[in-house]
This record gives sequence, structure tokens and C-alpha cells, in this order.
Amino acid sequence: MSSPSSQGGVSLSDRLERIDRRFVYLLIALALALPIIFGWKLPPAEMETADAFFAVVDELKPEHGKLVLIASDWGPGTQAENKPQTMIAMEHLMRKRVPFGLISITPYAAPFLESMPRDLKAKLEAEAPGETWTYGTDWINFGYRPGFVIMIQGLAKATDLHDVLKTDVSGTPLADLPIMKGVHTIRNIAMLMEFTGLVSAFNFWVQFFQADGYKPPFVHGCTSITIPEAYIYYVSKQIVGLYEGVAGAAWYENLLSKKYPERESGTALKINTSLAVAHVVIIALMILGNVGYLISRRSR
Amino acid sequence: MDGANAAMFGLEWWEAFVGGICTIAIFSFLYRENPFYRFFEHLYIGIATGIGVMATINTFLWPTVFKPMVDGERIPFPDGTFAEPYNSMYMLYLIPIAFGSLYYFILSRKYNWIAQIVIGFTLGYGGGLAFKATFNEMLPQLEDSFRPLYVAQQTAQDAAVGIDWLATFSNVVFIFTLITALSYFFFTFKRSEGGVTEKSALAGRWMMMGCFGAFFGATIMARMALLVERLEFLINKWFTLFIA
Repeated sequence: MSSPSSQGGVSLSDRLERIDRRFVYLLIALALALPIIFGWKLPPAEMETADAFFAVVDELKPEHGKLVLIASDWGPGTQAENKPQTMIAMEHLMRKRVPFGLISITPYAAPFLESMPRDLKAKLEAEAPGETWTYGTDWINFGYRPGFVIMIQGLAKATDLHDVLKTDVSGTPLADLPIMKGVHTIRNIAMLMEFTGLVSAFNFWVQFFQADGYKPPFVHGCTSITIPEAYIYYVSKQIVGLYEGVAGAAWYENLLSKKYPERESGTALKINTSLAVAHVVIIALMILGNVGYLISRRSR
Repeated sequence: MDGANAAMFGLEWWEAFVGGICTIAIFSFLYRENPFYRFFEHLYIGIATGIGVMATINTFLWPTVFKPMVDGERIPFPDGTFAEPYNSMYMLYLIPIAFGSLYYFILSRKYNWIAQIVIGFTLGYGGGLAFKATFNEMLPQLEDSFRPLYVAQQTAQDAAVGIDWLATFSNVVFIFTLITALSYFFFTFKRSEGGVTEKSALAGRWMMMGCFGAFFGATIMARMALLVERLEFLINKWFTLFIA
């Protein structure tokens, strides 16, 4: 695209067009790292989809024989976005004392299913001395369940979830856990939350987690890359709330902090600030590249 | 785990230390291709495969299939009796296991036709599920695409008071995009030059370009988010190992 200048030297447009890609990488890394190093926090953008997510979760009440099912179908590859999303939704449920069950169709999620609620438990108990959150009463970990569609359809069609799932992740029979008392069919699932970077995993839940004319309210957290696709499901009301990448989680965190002013902010806001700074740098680089291209075209 | 608080050379310290080395090794590709990167790339693929296999065995095959079959699920009392009698019906699991195992005949040149029975079965139930999936997924979207081109503004008592300009504009754009994008994919008749179908297809192409732009922007944001998580790990956990 570029050509050496007629004088034999290197023109400004050539320099702009030939910026070493490694220099661009370094610049982006710096733009992302500086907010982390200095602890900058920019206010997140308001998101209608996250507002809707917050509203439906906030309406939930702890009910005997009802459970929110959290499908956490992600692993280390997309934890940057999916982990803050899952954590913030889970925190909201724990604060409201709404019991929830964690499940995954991805094996790489297994360690996170174990650690996330325990980290939140420690955080909340430190914040509110005297209050406790207990495994088996406030939450349950069903662990990784292979089988994709077959497993999801099995859950939806089950006449008794105790027979299908049998035990929790550590082998305790479901009947021995207080949280599972009265929870037997899909009708006992008050809400389905699904977090993933895989469009196929999300689609499986949309397609098969319904039975006997009953579909639990469905909310979803996607990675930024799948926002345009996920939005279709939000507009058609197949999902009633959506986290648009980590930016959605950052806005949700903002809403949660307003409701619970004593809470310490999580990671979503930090990541969102770094992204905002990096986006400014990317836009500046795009403008520079295009200016270089226009100058070289004019000089030809 | 906070790097600064990790006990020197304890398990958590080593976890963070190895994690940092792996991250830097993978990022070294950004400078240029190198054996250090290649080694860690293969290591990552191997570990990911191993985790997948072991998770399937530990969380499904052993507790749900093999353990009940070999009588490992019953609780024994001290006198040698069991809480429940052995259920020999679990041995029926061997039938689908044997059938599924036929897939491995795909490795034999002479008998790979046997594997095709399993593949055919898989295609059959896959097709059935896809049929159901398409209806469950697409029908609500199809239904949603029937939108009014005039949206009335409503009061709290549901009385119409003039036009809701924003919702009307949104629906007009939606319908226009839907029709023009669909018309782009009509390949069964010749489009007359300068005709309505050609112009509509052209408009559809522009609309799709806008959509692809949104996808590309979202892709950049997603990639940045992955990078920032790793940088956060390196800055807040890995580097602090050495400072502490």
C-alpha cells in the first residue's frame, strides 16, 4: 500500500503505515496495565440489558423448594469476562439469601464452581460478622456433568432431579442436603442463569431446558465477542436479562454497590476501566493508520 | 490468593510462579515464533485434554456407570450386610457401552463399516434433536419479527396518546434490515439490473456490513478482556512474589 517517498527518505505517511506491530502490542499492554497499576476506576456505561438482569434477580425471594440454577459453562479461557459475571450474580443471590445450584457442561469450570462461592462466603461473612452462609443450605455444587444436550434435556424432563443428578460434586446424596428438599423437577427451578463464551453451550440451554410448557426465566452472561448474537435472544424475550461482556458485569456491580453501599467492589469495574483506556488507544491507532493511508494516497 | 501473602515456596507460591512463566511463554509469540512458546503451547493442549478425560471419568463414568455396576455404591454395615440389595439391572449398562465402543472400529480398514452403525445412530438422534432445537430456538424469534410499523405511545391506563417515535423508528429499521438481508440471499432468480431486488440486495449487504462491524468491535473487546485478566494476574500476583 505504501511506497517510499520520491526523495528516497521515509515520509511521515510511510512511518505511520509501517508502525511495527510489536510496538502496537506494547502500547496496548501499557494501556491495559496502567489502570491496574494505579488503581484507576472509571464509571461504567449504563446498560439496559444489565438493568433488566438486576431487576429480575432483585425480585427473587428465598422460597422453600425453589432453586436458581447457575450454568457456569466456561473455563480459564474466558474467565476474564465470565468469572466477574458469575461472581456478581452469585453475590446478589447470596445477599438476598436465594438458594442456588451450580452446574457446568464444561470440565474446565469444575475448580471455579468450588472456589467462587467459598470466596464470596468469606467476603460476605467478613462484611457482616455474625451472619453465615452454608454449603448445602445456601448453595449446592452439582459439578461438571458431561453429555451436553442429553444432560440438559435429562434435567428438563426429569420426574425427579434426585434420580438424575443423584449426588453433589463430593458424592453426598442430594436427599441429605437441605437445599434440595422439595426440589424435584424443572418447575422447582425459579430461574436459569447461564454464563459462557460458547454460543453452542448457550443455545443448548435455550433449546432444551424447558418441559411441560414451563420455561424458567432465563438470564445470560456472554463474552463480548458473542454480544451481537446474544442480543437477538434478549430482543425476542427468550432471555430476560443479559450481561454484555464484562461491561455488563461492571454496570451490574455499580447497581449492586448502590443497593448495598457497604460492599467492596469486585474485579469487573477494574477490567472495564482497563478496557476503556485500551479502546481509546485502539481508536487513536486506527485514526493514525487511516491518516497515513490518506496522506500516501494524496502524495501518489 | 494474593501473591504477596503466599508462603514462600508453598503450593500457592508455586501455582502463581508456574502460572506466570506459562503466561509469559505464551505471550512470547507476540515478539516472534520461538521454541519456548511451542513447548508451552503443546503443554497446554496436553493438560487441557488430560483434564477433560479425567473429569469425565471422575465425575461421570466412575460414579454413574461403573461404580453401581461393580457394586461400589452400596453402604456396608459392620455385620457384612448392605443397606440395600445389589441391583443386577445396572449390568444392562454394558449394552450401550458395547454399542458405543463399536466406534473404535473406525481405526480398522477391514471392519470400519461397523463404526458406521454407531455414526448412523448418532446422526439419527442428532437430526431429531436438531429438529426440536430449531423450533424451540427459532420460533420465538420468528414471532418477534412480526412487528408493527406504527407504535402508539401509551399512558399508564393503556390509552394511546400519539406515536412513540423511538419504538416506531426502531421497528422500521428492524423490518427494513430483515427484508433487505433476506433478499440478499435470493439466488434462485436473475436480478434485473437496477431493479428493486438488486437494490434491496445491495441495501441488505450494507446492513450486514454494519453487523459484521459490530461483531469485529465486539471481538476486539473480548480479546482485550482476555489480555487484561492475564496482565492483572502478572501485576498483582506474579510480580509480587518476587517483591515479597
